Amino acid sequence: MGSKVAIIGSGNIARDHLVALRSIPDVEVAYVYGSNLERAASLAALYPGAIATTDIDKVLRDPAISAVDITNATPDHARFTIAAGQARKHVHVEKPAALNLPDLDAMIAATEGRELSLMVGQTVRFQPSIATIAASLQGGEIGTPRLTHVSWYTGYVWPGGWRGWQLDAAKSGGHPVHNGSHCIDLAIWLLQRTPVRVFARSFPSYAAQMPVHDSFQLTVKFDDGSLALLEISYSLRKHADMLRRIVVAGSEGTLAHTTEDDPGLTSDGARPAPSSIEGAMTAQLSHWVDLIQGRAAPIVKTAEVRATLATGLAAQQSLETGRAIELSLPSIHAKGAML
Amino acid sequence: MNAESATVRKPKLRIGFLSGIRHAVPYAEILAEMADVELVGVAEDSVSPAWMKGDSAKAAAAVGIAYFDSLVPLLDANTVDAVVVCSEPTRHAELAARALAAGLHVLVDKPIGVNRADIAQLAKAEATAVGTLSVINRLQSPAVQRLRRWVDAGTMGLPLHVDVEWFASGAHFATSVERPELVVDPSLSGGGELLNFLLYPVDYIRFLTGLEVVEVHCEASTLFSQLHEENGVEDCAIVSLLLENAVTATVTVGRVPAAPGLGPVSSSIRILGSHGNASSDDDKPQVSRYDTAGGISALPVGGPSSVAILRIMLKQYVQELQSGRTPTYGLHDAAASFAVIEAAYDSVKSGQPVRVSTAR
Repeated sequence: MGSKVAIIGSGNIARDHLVALRSIPDVEVAYVYGSNLERAASLAALYPGAIATTDIDKVLRDPAISAVDITNATPDHARFTIAAGQARKHVHVEKPAALNLPDLDAMIAATEGRELSLMVGQTVRFQPSIATIAASLQGGEIGTPRLTHVSWYTGYVWPGGWRGWQLDAAKSGGHPVHNGSHCIDLAIWLLQRTPVRVFARSFPSYAAQMPVHDSFQLTVKFDDGSLALLEISYSLRKHADMLRRIVVAGSEGTLAHTTEDDPGLTSDGARPAPSSIEGAMTAQLSHWVDLIQGRAAPIVKTAEVRATLATGLAAQQSLETGRAIELSLPSIHAKGAML
Repeated sequence: MNAESATVRKPKLRIGFLSGIRHAVPYAEILAEMADVELVGVAEDSVSPAWMKGDSAKAAAAVGIAYFDSLVPLLDANTVDAVVVCSEPTRHAELAARALAAGLHVLVDKPIGVNRADIAQLAKAEATAVGTLSVINRLQSPAVQRLRRWVDAGTMGLPLHVDVEWFASGAHFATSVERPELVVDPSLSGGGELLNFLLYPVDYIRFLTGLEVVEVHCEASTLFSQLHEENGVEDCAIVSLLLENAVTATVTVGRVPAAPGLGPVSSSIRILGSHGNASSDDDKPQVSRYDTAGGISALPVGGPSSVAILRIMLKQYVQELQSGRTPTYGLHDAAASFAVIEAAYDSVKSGQPVRVSTAR
């Protein structure tokens, strides 16, 4: 029998989640919660049988609901996750998981502390090219990975214009938290080490007066000396362009992928994402369903998510101070416990 | 010595090597291909250790030229027009200064020096020299030159960020490094791979943007090589640079077990501009070859980049000297890149960003 779940949030990401969940067996979306009923209803219409609601208590009190998928803005992640955990629901929450570590710790305590699962939506881990790199690392094909360099450039401006919450570091956590989470998480996951120092530098590419620069770079040093150079930029001129290049150097070889090598479509009619990242959301939510039904061990561990958030927050602090920021995180990976 | 009159009087440019223990053979092999060059020989200092004399003699024999057990014969403008300094890096500045004082043109293997005193010594020597001072560099890389043309054309707008990845491949260590200690023993190398390699990416960044680096943050580690570990020097580093006009740059550099390229080194660049972006790779364009055994290989267009770039650089250097021109790449460029390397080491030590001492 499939799990009944609820979508919390009615924004663009919620739509992506609904579409992905529609294609996954063993799961049924019973509710779409939103603060605006009309918007929630427009999303619920995408999923046969889903009920739109503005009453979160109704959702969380429903014993048929085993899990919730929290897709609303970052400042709301903590209170909805904690409420869901208290109602004994498994939780999937969009990245970044929280705006600060105390909130995340409370979220973990409310879920994993009750033997419920908490999965953070680190979608990039589920992209085919990244999954292939991870599988190769897991298979020991390049020995021990020690160095990674990620260049991640896109042509995209977040919706909302100057009203966008992404421009307010108090609401987004800052750009390294908001849009750096995937890249930082990737480095932590692939290298399987704990960050100890981060330095960040940024530049604005298309609006110099923006309070949050659209492009930044991070240097991350890990507890065993491993290194990650991470570049994020929203400077590409054409909308939906993407150039991502990943190199992971290990003790016995190197893995490299660039989207420049992907088969692609050039057309005025459509501009699909690079083929090396397609299907990631479906793979992510399929894993979530497996997780809540006890069929899989978590790919996204909350200790790694916590290290990612701490590193992103430190990177934001680095941007504000111009200094490298030291991190004091507990070691999150047992030696040899790859992936 | 006057380069212009030398060109008129001498049909061939006479080139000697001051020490031949590092990179002398590949440089000599390329120079020997040039009809307008005469290789005079390799000279090692009479007080150098036996292994240096032995290695220099072997280098001379490998390319079929004379070996001198003293520097004196090649510190003579009557014998040679130019010398290439191919000693261990910690001796580069001293030998180059002596050759300048002898009235010779000097081409120094990289890095130009290993500390600020070396740079000062060379600046002093150059100030009164009749010959020119240049340094081995890779700015003639076709991939880098293409990027520069694109920047200069203006269609990319103003460069906002430059990313350079530069790796040497540990798989080629035994064939590309004559003796490991020349790279890992600080008494010979002066440092680790930051000193050995960071100049290339910094050269690229300065060349492509026309901007000086003003601040450096660097993290360095010994990630792979036991030899580096035993000698206390780094084999890899990641670098964040702030340039003039708030332009940024990043560098990933080092010696990894398998560089993601086709030869002993891999080098790729990405530029983000205000009106476009561009990338380059020294190994690309390339042609793929599929063999009947199921093997796949790649053929870089223009040949293996390491040799191809060096050939272009040395050919241009010879042409510049023969036409009486000052070599394009001089002490100013090398000193600017060295200042970034120095700041990078300071940053590694402090864990914090460091201002570059020569920043305008």
